[in-house]
Amino acid sequence: MTPLSKMLPGQRGTVIGFTRDSKIARRLLELGIVPGRTVVYLRNAPLRDPMEVQVGSCCLSLRHSEASLVTVKLDK
Amino acid sequence: MTVTSGKSTQRSGVVAICGNPNSGKTTIFNAITGLNQQVGNYPGVTVEKVTGRFESDLNPGQKLTLVDIPGSYSLSAFTPDEYIAAAVLFGEFDGQRPPDAIICVIDATQLERGFYLLLQILQIGCPTVVAVNMIDLAQQGGIRINFKRLSRALGGIPVVPVIGNRRKGIDKLKRETANAIDRSFTGVTRIFDSTTEEVMQTLVEQCSDHRRSRAQYLRVIFDENGQAEKQYVRDEGRRVIPWIEQGRRRIRDKFGSLVTAETGALTYRAEELHRLVVRKSESAQTTVSEKIDKYLLHPLLGPVVLVLLMVLVFQSIFSWAAPLMDAIDGAFSWLAGGVEATMVDGPLRSLLTDGVIGGVGSVLIFIPQIAILFIFIAILEDSGFMPRAAFLVDRMFRWCGLSGKSFIPMLSSFACAVPGIMATRTIEDRKLRLITIMVAPLMTCSARLPVYAIMIAAFIPYKTYLGIFNLQGLVLTMLYLLGIATAVVVSYILKKTFLKTERGTFMMEMPTYKLPTLRSIGIRVLNRLKSFLLRAGTIILAITVIIWALSYYPRSADVTHEFNIRKAEAISNFARSQALLASRIDALTTGQSPEVGSAAEHITESFDRALDFTQLEGIRTELIAEYSSFPELVETLYRARYLMLDHNQSITRIANEKAGAHIRGSFLGIVGRQIEPLFEPLGWDWKITVSVLAAFPAREVIIATLGTIYNLGTEIEVQSSSLIEKMRNAVWEDGPDKGKAVFSPAVAISIMVFFALCCQCGATLVTIRQETASWIYSVATFVYMTALAYLFAFTSFQIMRGAGF
Repeated sequence: MTPLSKMLPGQRGTVIGFTRDSKIARRLLELGIVPGRTVVYLRNAPLRDPMEVQVGSCCLSLRHSEASLVTVKLDK
Repeated sequence: MTVTSGKSTQRSGVVAICGNPNSGKTTIFNAITGLNQQVGNYPGVTVEKVTGRFESDLNPGQKLTLVDIPGSYSLSAFTPDEYIAAAVLFGEFDGQRPPDAIICVIDATQLERGFYLLLQILQIGCPTVVAVNMIDLAQQGGIRINFKRLSRALGGIPVVPVIGNRRKGIDKLKRETANAIDRSFTGVTRIFDSTTEEVMQTLVEQCSDHRRSRAQYLRVIFDENGQAEKQYVRDEGRRVIPWIEQGRRRIRDKFGSLVTAETGALTYRAEELHRLVVRKSESAQTTVSEKIDKYLLHPLLGPVVLVLLMVLVFQSIFSWAAPLMDAIDGAFSWLAGGVEATMVDGPLRSLLTDGVIGGVGSVLIFIPQIAILFIFIAILEDSGFMPRAAFLVDRMFRWCGLSGKSFIPMLSSFACAVPGIMATRTIEDRKLRLITIMVAPLMTCSARLPVYAIMIAAFIPYKTYLGIFNLQGLVLTMLYLLGIATAVVVSYILKKTFLKTERGTFMMEMPTYKLPTLRSIGIRVLNRLKSFLLRAGTIILAITVIIWALSYYPRSADVTHEFNIRKAEAISNFARSQALLASRIDALTTGQSPEVGSAAEHITESFDRALDFTQLEGIRTELIAEYSSFPELVETLYRARYLMLDHNQSITRIANEKAGAHIRGSFLGIVGRQIEPLFEPLGWDWKITVSVLAAFPAREVIIATLGTIYNLGTEIEVQSSSLIEKMRNAVWEDGPDKGKAVFSPAVAISIMVFFALCCQCGATLVTIRQETASWIYSVATFVYMTALAYLFAFTSFQIMRGAGF
């Protein structure tokens, strides 16, 4: 299990949960980062931050600080 | 099928249209209401409010008002936008009637997220119509939706499949909405577990009235320290606090956390609905958008494309707009000329030509630039590129206290700060938005260009360094950089002091790319132009008339009289001299051979072609050689033409001197000379001071004012060499430098630096007021920019003068 922010571009994993019960976590849930779903780390922006991930058919951008709230299990 | 159920049809009704951002909510709004829209602000907050009217074929004559509320992901508000959305839906918003029905727009390709919001909205208990949008894209992606089953699963509320940008399903949506108001039928609500239901019940029992909906009680329970909880405690007293706490404890004991309890239930039901109504043929999901993003969001290629795109936008704003702007300018000059020719000289004519046509015309001239800019913005927004641009620059903008979302407003402000400030509506964070609004006017807008152009042409020498760098071009570039650098510093300071932003967020959806439709771009551009024209016709017109009045009155009759006498003298002198010359010509031609007569005729014709003294001298030399046998005839006819040209010139000079004397004696002139000492440290005499002051409503005004003041009348074109000449020849009227030239490169730089930083734009200040719903930010922007302008102009003038320029 690793934070979403520690994944590498191109990797995919399954959302496990959130490290903290915050408003940001809630918003990420509402945007579709729901436990059990598959998340794909697409790329970083030119200066590394923010990052882009794909959940289902939806692409999201978020900063690394926000992604560190999400725990994922890397797919083999 | 109930068409009208027992109760009579309401004559009017309010319908709120809501949905996730990028669900095509605004496209459907536009499709339903067309050009029948009003753009305004929700009072007290920085969010735009758009309403439109429509009627359905079900109840013709029933006027329904459609309110476009900001896109939101959840009723648990995260951004100011979402606070508004929730407040309007709950009927808590002052000045906005609670909706009689809700249209909830769901993106067919993002059904689960749409269902999540829909399930929350159903808790409101208001008649709701579901519009499943972009079903064509869903079908292409292999998603098949059973709409009948969806309607049944939601408790029988209407579900309408729609393709917003092709207007498919819009009529049915209107019909179902009118029908839903009549039937006032609501869908499923029981989606939470028994514990949550019990907690909600205890809170309802504590309540003295029953005006809150289930959706609001859910907000009281689940949003700790949120608006709903505070309002509930305010209404019912502090005694309810233990009930809330106890309820939350029960829920936490069962689910671990409040967030898990609510989002868990909603997500579970949303996924269940999705499984129930969607049949998906599994396909590998590398979408077209993802393929495009491989290039557009590439770490190296992405920024390059972005820069090229910006260059394209700039180029088109300046080059494509130029002919149209010239045409508008021409039209206004023609109009002013027409008025001047048909009306008698007097205050009314001056008000119409110098005030209304000159002032409003100088604003309307920007219509082409604004239209082009908005066409680009509409295309970039509708296609889904904007979030990508914000994504690319976010990190860079964060260094100076802005965010990636500030990028588009700043870019627009290089054309004009007005659309730039309007474009900040996409920034959710209120403080970030305010910072962006306050620094946007520092970008070099197109109204500063004519001022720079004339000052640089007049006083910055044309020198080239290292073969490629031209001093004039360098100065212009420095002025652009000065604006940008100041914006960076100011936003950094604002972020650290008055508008301390918490660590902002950048959680944003990257929507799929879509082909913008002509119709939706047309509607948006036309609506923007409509509100721009409205402003030009009201506020800008008023400011212009005030400035005109201050520089026209009190028109001293003595001055008018004095110049009328001078003009009459000049005319009678001219008539006398002309009569003398005429008799002389008579003497030379009468009784002579026909050869002399035809020579005289030809010589007169030739001289008449001379429009100034240089031409006249040239023609004279030619004719002396050609008609060497009639030297006296040539000389006399030459003097006749000379007299004519000289007379025209002195009549113009008298008129210009009269205008100058009047402006010296006007309120503006009196005030200008009073406050001259204040601007002397910047190197300005009273004429520059007055011109700059007159340019506070709109920067371009300075050229017209300088023209008037330097005895030239007001029709001065930018590159008019005669204004440049007059400025070069201007000398101090009194003081220690009396007789010395007013203008120098140092003074020109001081004026340009002042213009680069000063907020001399009534339209911008009014727009800031409109966008922030408060004069405070207009005043703050005006004060800090004017103070910086003075400081920087002072510093640059003193340094330049010290260095001997």
